Amino acid sequence: MSENKKNETVVIETNALDFYYNPQTQALKNVNIIIPEKMVTAFIGPSGCGKSTLLRCFNRMNDLIQGSFIKGNIRIHGKDIYKRDVQLEDLRKSVGMVFQKSNPFPMSIWENVAFGPQVNGITNKAELNNIVESALVQGDLWREVKDRLHNSALDLSGGQQQRLCIARTLANKPDIILMDEPASALDPISTGKIEETIEELKKEYTIVIVTHNMQQAARISDYTAFMMLGELIERDETKKVFTNPTEKLTEDYITGRFG
Amino acid sequence: MNAENKTSFRKKVKNTDKKVRWLITIGGYTIIVNIVAIMLFLLYQSLPLSLGATIEKWFSVPSSNNAAKVLVTGIDPYLEVFYEIDAQGDVRYYSTVSKKKIGENKIALNGAEQFLSGAKGSLQKEIFTLGSDSGRIVTGLITMAATYSSQGRSISPSLEIIEDWQVPATNDSIPNHIEKISLSQNEDESRVWAWQDHSGDVQLRIYDADMDEEYNYNLSSDLKGENVTALTLSANAENLVVAGQTGRVYWFDLSDFEDITLKDEFQATSLVSSINYLLGDQAIVLGGTDGSVSTWFPVRTPANLFKFRKVHTFTAHAFPVINIFVSGRNRNFLTIDKKGNAKLHYSTTGQTQIEFRPADFPILSGTFAPKSNAIIVIDAQNKFGLFKLENPHPETDLTSLFTPVWYEGYPDAEFVWQSTGGSDEFEPKLSLIPLIFGTFKGTLFAMIFSIPLALLAAIYVSRFAPPNLARQIKPTVEIMAALPSVVIGFLAGLYFSPFFEKYLMVIILFVLVLPLIFLSIMYLLQRIPDNWKSKLPPGVEILFSIPIGLITLLIAIVFAPAFEKLFFEGNFQQWLYHVLHITYETRNSLVVGFALGFAVIPIIFTVSEDALTNVPESLTSASLALGASPWQTVRRVVLPAASGGIFAAIMLGLGRAVGETMIVLMATGNTPILDLNPFNGFRAMSACIAVEIPEAPVGGTLYRVLFLTGLLLFIFTFILNTLSSLVGDRLRKKYARF
Ligand SMILES: Nc1ncnc2c1ncn2[C@@H]1O[C@H](COP(=O)(O)OP(=O)(O)O)[C@@H](O)[C@H]1O
Ligand SMILES: [Mg+2]
Repeated sequence: MSENKKNETVVIETNALDFYYNPQTQALKNVNIIIPEKMVTAFIGPSGCGKSTLLRCFNRMNDLIQGSFIKGNIRIHGKDIYKRDVQLEDLRKSVGMVFQKSNPFPMSIWENVAFGPQVNGITNKAELNNIVESALVQGDLWREVKDRLHNSALDLSGGQQQRLCIARTLANKPDIILMDEPASALDPISTGKIEETIEELKKEYTIVIVTHNMQQAARISDYTAFMMLGELIERDETKKVFTNPTEKLTEDYITGRFG
Repeated sequence: MNAENKTSFRKKVKNTDKKVRWLITIGGYTIIVNIVAIMLFLLYQSLPLSLGATIEKWFSVPSSNNAAKVLVTGIDPYLEVFYEIDAQGDVRYYSTVSKKKIGENKIALNGAEQFLSGAKGSLQKEIFTLGSDSGRIVTGLITMAATYSSQGRSISPSLEIIEDWQVPATNDSIPNHIEKISLSQNEDESRVWAWQDHSGDVQLRIYDADMDEEYNYNLSSDLKGENVTALTLSANAENLVVAGQTGRVYWFDLSDFEDITLKDEFQATSLVSSINYLLGDQAIVLGGTDGSVSTWFPVRTPANLFKFRKVHTFTAHAFPVINIFVSGRNRNFLTIDKKGNAKLHYSTTGQTQIEFRPADFPILSGTFAPKSNAIIVIDAQNKFGLFKLENPHPETDLTSLFTPVWYEGYPDAEFVWQSTGGSDEFEPKLSLIPLIFGTFKGTLFAMIFSIPLALLAAIYVSRFAPPNLARQIKPTVEIMAALPSVVIGFLAGLYFSPFFEKYLMVIILFVLVLPLIFLSIMYLLQRIPDNWKSKLPPGVEILFSIPIGLITLLIAIVFAPAFEKLFFEGNFQQWLYHVLHITYETRNSLVVGFALGFAVIPIIFTVSEDALTNVPESLTSASLALGASPWQTVRRVVLPAASGGIFAAIMLGLGRAVGETMIVLMATGNTPILDLNPFNGFRAMSACIAVEIPEAPVGGTLYRVLFLTGLLLFIFTFILNTLSSLVGDRLRKKYARF
């Protein structure tokens, strides 16, 4: 496990990462990035630059795309996650993911949150109840839903659904949470709530968040990575990136000259 | 385009829109109208089954004879001429058109001689016999020849005396009074007379037409000197039933003219005042002095003897039953009591259909018209009463279609479908239960076979198969749906069923061993190191399954004889019969299930595959991202989300299996039996319609019952489809709100 200059533990580290959707479509080019522990790292960049692709490499969700492959490697806690002996289920349990569009299962709230622990082998009802409660508390949803845990999750509002998806991920007790524009489909108040939740969560979890909203990146992240056309242009402390970027491209993007 | 052009263009578009909308609406409604029309047509064809009998007074006219007692009456098949024969030997013919006498004949009498009794000897011919007070028995035939001229049809009746016979005088020198007489002439024109004289003796005279021989018997010793109250001969001249004064009934077997035997005797439930054989020579009707009416027929006992059993009791009369008239067409009969009240009954169903009063005075004689479309009676005041009878479907009602019916010759009430028999006297057995059962039995076996296969295939194709393979499988299965069911039925019936029978053991062994082998291979696979396993491209399992299947087949072939020896005493069919008392039919339900499965699998597969594929990726991604395995994802997320579609798929498959005709027709023996045994066949409703409708007389009972069967099928599929969309919708609302 390597450390960066500020003595932060590096959780994810990529090394000359290339990603191809197919031999003709290269979505990531020579990406070298480190993600520090218990920090929020934000990926910004124009649409189609490969933010989601990179994020989905971290829990190997890209494996689902037929014909895709990577070059280079990704280490999580120093271990190459693309090695053959890696159990995908274990990887995805410890690297949780919240999607852009909230996607609760058409089941009850309780069943949604308990889903992860259940598929990972926990059957004890009391234990599940505890996990569900603490995950919902952490996801800042407990107060709102504690009386209707067995109602359909689909009856919740959009913001609540997204927080449920966060809680559902938390129930797996992951190390890392990947969030792909988690608030892009929500109204400002719901977005605010999500941001508060993220603020809370970073005390315990390593969070990687994709956002196209630069104020959001500035507000909640510790580190910001700016990507363009599949390449990582710049990655630094958020304050630095937003106030004094090293790269001209970054500055142009941040000041709204394109994007 | 200028403004004016533009508005006219918009107008045009709007017009087209309007026209197309109309067309589409018409199309939609036409379909609905069609379906409703089909349903109404089926109803229209089957509803008459529920119509009861109607008896309508046609006319009544006094006989031109006013003194002598009438002994025999009759009418011609076209209902144009009726006749009477009275105690003076006068035969008079009347026209139903002019209602006047149109001719007469005379049977000569000796001096003051009078006829005391008379009877008809056939349900088809106007053959009659008269017994006089001097021991004469005259037998004659009235022919009603129809001649066709430019004026139309005219009936010219004539009398022919067949035999004039004198009963040999007895010792006591009192002239022999023939007090009761019965006659039967069978198809060979052999004749049997049975009569009772004033001394109470019952005598029997047989004329054997084949041998031109005569036999005479006195049955008094068999009857233990009992006074006889009624007697009847069956139309085939093989049975004589005699009722004694004490209510004891004696059944004589006349089939061997040279050796008459008393086959059975039994105590009737009341004193018998009249008795008659029904059409079919099996069942008798007993009319009691207490007015009771019951039918009886012989039933095989465990000791393999035939004993008369009481089968139906009908609505009783308030007075002694003195006449029983029997239809020559069906199991209808008319009972008349001492005061002239009549009741029309139907023996198969045990129903009393109509009660009426044909005359103001007691009835002396009467008969059904040859086609059973009229009844003629004559009362004590020598007045004829003619009635038109309409009884189109007496053998069916809701009860007889859906509950067990005790048919002649059967040991008990049963569900039987046997619509046609060898002769006109056949009693149609039209229970729908064996057909409904057959349909559901076929459907059950088809579903057992097809639901798992189709669903597994759908899951595999939609979720696991490599996309290239999936692209191949789907259209292939869909082509299966286009296979004409005749072809499937033909292959199943002619090739597969004998093959199945021949290699039954191999097939059973294969089916048993295959899952075992697969499970053990899967177990082994789990123990292989992961990195070794993951070197294989995904979806390659399918390639392994083919050699595994072949190896299993080989194992099954090699071990089948040993397996059969070990568990089934060396011969499975015999073992089935000896141990489970099950017979093995070549075209059995398993074969049909397999063949029908072929028709059903594409439907279930296609519809459920669509439903499974339509489960949004966001849900499967969420599940996989939470660390669920692909199978966990399918089981916990995809299947519930697709449950509406899968349910609909199964229901559609069920609907197809229920309605499928050609396959069940060709691949089963079509035996309408109620037996869940998978090695037996069955007869499905659809196949039954296909088999029988070409031979069912239009408008007849069978014809209408087949339409009713069609209506039931329609209702079943309608219910299945409605259920499919209702429950499917609910499931979709619950699980598929994505
Ligand atoms: N499934 C896919 N197959 C092929 N190309 C894809 C696929 N998904 C995304 N891409 C392409 O990869 C590039 C990066 O996409 P993405 O990572 O989604 O961008 P971002 O999230 O930054 O907007 C885009 O050019 C996009 O068109
Ligand atoms: Mg994206």
